[in-house]
Amino acid sequence: MRGYLLRRLPSALLVLLVASFAVFAVLRLVPGDPAAVLAGPDASAETEAAIRARLGLDEPLPAQYLRWLGDLLTGDLGPSYAIGGQTADLIGDGLGATVELTLGALLFVVVLGGAFGILGATSRNRWVSTAVRVLTTGALSVPPFVTGVLLVLLFSVLLGVLPPGGRVPLLTAPDLGVQYLLLPALCLALPSAAVLGRYLKDGIERALGEDYVRTATAAGIAPRRLLWRHALPNALPPVVTLLGMQTGNLLGGAVLVEAIFAWPGLGQLAEQALVRRDYPVVQDLLLLLVTVFVLVQLLTDLVHAWLDPRIRWE
Amino acid sequence: MTELYPTTPTALSRRTTLRAAGGGTLLLGLGLAGCRSAVSEAEAPGAEATAKPRRGGTFTVAVNSDFTPSLLFAQSGQSLQQRLVYNTLVRYDDRLEPQPELATSWEYAKDGRSITLKLRTGVTYHDGRPFTADDVIFAVKNLQNPLRAAQLRSTAAAITGFEKRGDHELVLKLAHPVNNLFDLFEFMIITDRNSVEDAVAGRKLNGTGPFKLTKWSPGTGLSFTRNEKYWQPDRPYLDAVEFRVIAQADALLSSLRTGQTQLSYGVPGRNLATLAADPELVISEYSTGGGAHYLGVNTTVAPLNDKTVRQALAWGIDRERILKQVLGGYGLASATPWPKSSPAFSEAARTHYTHDPGKARELLKSAGHTGLDLPLLHINLPGDTAVAEAVQYDLKQIGVRVTLEPTDPATAQKNLISQSMPGLWTMSHGFAQVQPSTLAVSAYPFNEAKNTSRFRSAAYTKVVREAWTTPGTGARANALRQQITDTLLDEAFIIDLVIRGSVQVAAKKLRGVTLNKFSYLNLDDAHLAG
Repeated sequence: MRGYLLRRLPSALLVLLVASFAVFAVLRLVPGDPAAVLAGPDASAETEAAIRARLGLDEPLPAQYLRWLGDLLTGDLGPSYAIGGQTADLIGDGLGATVELTLGALLFVVVLGGAFGILGATSRNRWVSTAVRVLTTGALSVPPFVTGVLLVLLFSVLLGVLPPGGRVPLLTAPDLGVQYLLLPALCLALPSAAVLGRYLKDGIERALGEDYVRTATAAGIAPRRLLWRHALPNALPPVVTLLGMQTGNLLGGAVLVEAIFAWPGLGQLAEQALVRRDYPVVQDLLLLLVTVFVLVQLLTDLVHAWLDPRIRWE
Repeated sequence: MTELYPTTPTALSRRTTLRAAGGGTLLLGLGLAGCRSAVSEAEAPGAEATAKPRRGGTFTVAVNSDFTPSLLFAQSGQSLQQRLVYNTLVRYDDRLEPQPELATSWEYAKDGRSITLKLRTGVTYHDGRPFTADDVIFAVKNLQNPLRAAQLRSTAAAITGFEKRGDHELVLKLAHPVNNLFDLFEFMIITDRNSVEDAVAGRKLNGTGPFKLTKWSPGTGLSFTRNEKYWQPDRPYLDAVEFRVIAQADALLSSLRTGQTQLSYGVPGRNLATLAADPELVISEYSTGGGAHYLGVNTTVAPLNDKTVRQALAWGIDRERILKQVLGGYGLASATPWPKSSPAFSEAARTHYTHDPGKARELLKSAGHTGLDLPLLHINLPGDTAVAEAVQYDLKQIGVRVTLEPTDPATAQKNLISQSMPGLWTMSHGFAQVQPSTLAVSAYPFNEAKNTSRFRSAAYTKVVREAWTTPGTGARANALRQQITDTLLDEAFIIDLVIRGSVQVAAKKLRGVTLNKFSYLNLDDAHLAG
């Protein structure tokens, strides 16, 4: 395995190097620069030049690129140009908030999707099955920016039971944090929960139609045991695969939900940094994303190689 | 018929479902009952309010953009925190008369080339260091530094000498008389000279103001606590203030409606109608305005180098419609940059260009231009886009086809200060709310020496320079202001459209909140009333 890992590492590092160059170059090709943003709309050329020199933007581009790479290698991401504070702190805080939101949403996806699927597949009550169908269709077809506003209107403005936005970190104050998390997590989770619920419903219905269920029923096994011990486990594998895919969607969807609920996650940070041309923050964020994908790919390759020894010898 | 062994197990009976739902609700209820409520936490100050000013309480301000430490010394989109942490030398009253703050009195030399300031004694910074004349000298020199990007840098640069007379008296010597020195004194925050680099990095703000910054979470907000050693006796009343960054307009509205936040200056005009009916909120408007939307014209591009064409555009725009549709009626349709608080404001000048498509077409025809096709750059944010679309519609009615060029803010700003705008653009400007000369020497679109419109005129330069160096009151000052206004209207290189309202939305129980002329939030007297 070690040999296989050593063979795979150079290509992963090369991908990261190429990505870093692409990220750096693309940002410089975008019109507008941090010095102009920081100078403001009433600045003189002298002010803009002074700010450009302070940020090191007057250096040749290759020198700027190498300086950035050097900083990365030493683990010093440096200060943000426009937002303020240290880039590493900004990304760390944003990442924590986004992961918290995504995990909260994932919990809702599992609970709501599971409930939709099981109720939809097993209920003989016409009203219940119709309600599940309407709910899943609604959750799937209404976009999060509408759902978000409706949830705020209902739970914050009309009922006044949950805050309409903001964040208190769960680890700092769990009792407050969970209340801030509920609405954005639910808003983010609804479409994925609907998809999951439909897959689960189909899976359970298919499993319940299998011969072994008929046999088990004839043998007198209780319906509930039949569902939980036999049908559900057989329906779950494709649903778990889907859940993995939906996790990626949740991370992507978090950007929009963060804006609706003033949730200070990576999406908000990326938007703020891009608008202000905060090169260090945007560069490091994009490279972080690429790194995550490269690592996941590497990990997948390693798992495949571990499972199938032939791959290691190819 | 009863099925003994149904092929499709129903699994969840009604009883089971109800039991599960009841159990879940109970668990959730038990879990939350022992905890604080995020909603009541936010509403706590209002709930405890009494009828008269009292000490204590915390309230939350909703801001739609975060504090930018690197722009601490410039007027940026969000300057509210400046007067919480810091003081200025003076504060303007409603008639632009300076009132004492860190400077207790002042006296101009007869030739207008120096001013003697008496400074307040017994003032200390948050870290305990006493405030002295050296801090004022540093503050002026700091603003002269181009790195600080301060809009009033040209006025600060006019101060060329300092003469200390003890720790609390200072003579500022001027290269030439300027009549907007008190604008500078209202604008210039007095920072701690030993930690200014920490301040622009956002690490530490050390001032003499009524509140200390205890925490800044980028993208989330700021927390302030009362400065127990504030130089104003018994002030401030409040224990603490929170700023919460809420960029999205709908989220901002919800936070105000639910009482999660109690004060905001960032609600878009067209959304104010939603809040106007709320009995728990009070909407008020400052006469200074909140900057102005204008149509910029590149005077080097044909046919916009023809003054008659520019004037035709000015006649062709329906400013009242923009005010109503884009700003929700909060603001002032105006052909000049001056808000009502400005000494240069006049009703005649404000209504110099009204909506007269017939006259606009006539002017274009007389100039020999029909069927014009012009590009118009605008920032791709909702408010700016709405203004650009309104201009596009109006100009189409007079036979000018406008192609919109939506542009992100950073690129637009780059184009603005590098003089690389297309024929037309719409943006916003400030600095018309104080001495009129400040607009002409500090706001780039109006700058006589260099501006985005590439407009140069010896007459404009002369009048601006003279207006800047002539004492700010009296017949001569009024005549010079009128000349600037007349030049702006006649040359129409900047076509003012509407002055945005500076609108405060506050919880009914919140009292004593004010803004200075540069939108610094003053909470010295703020308190919660019953």
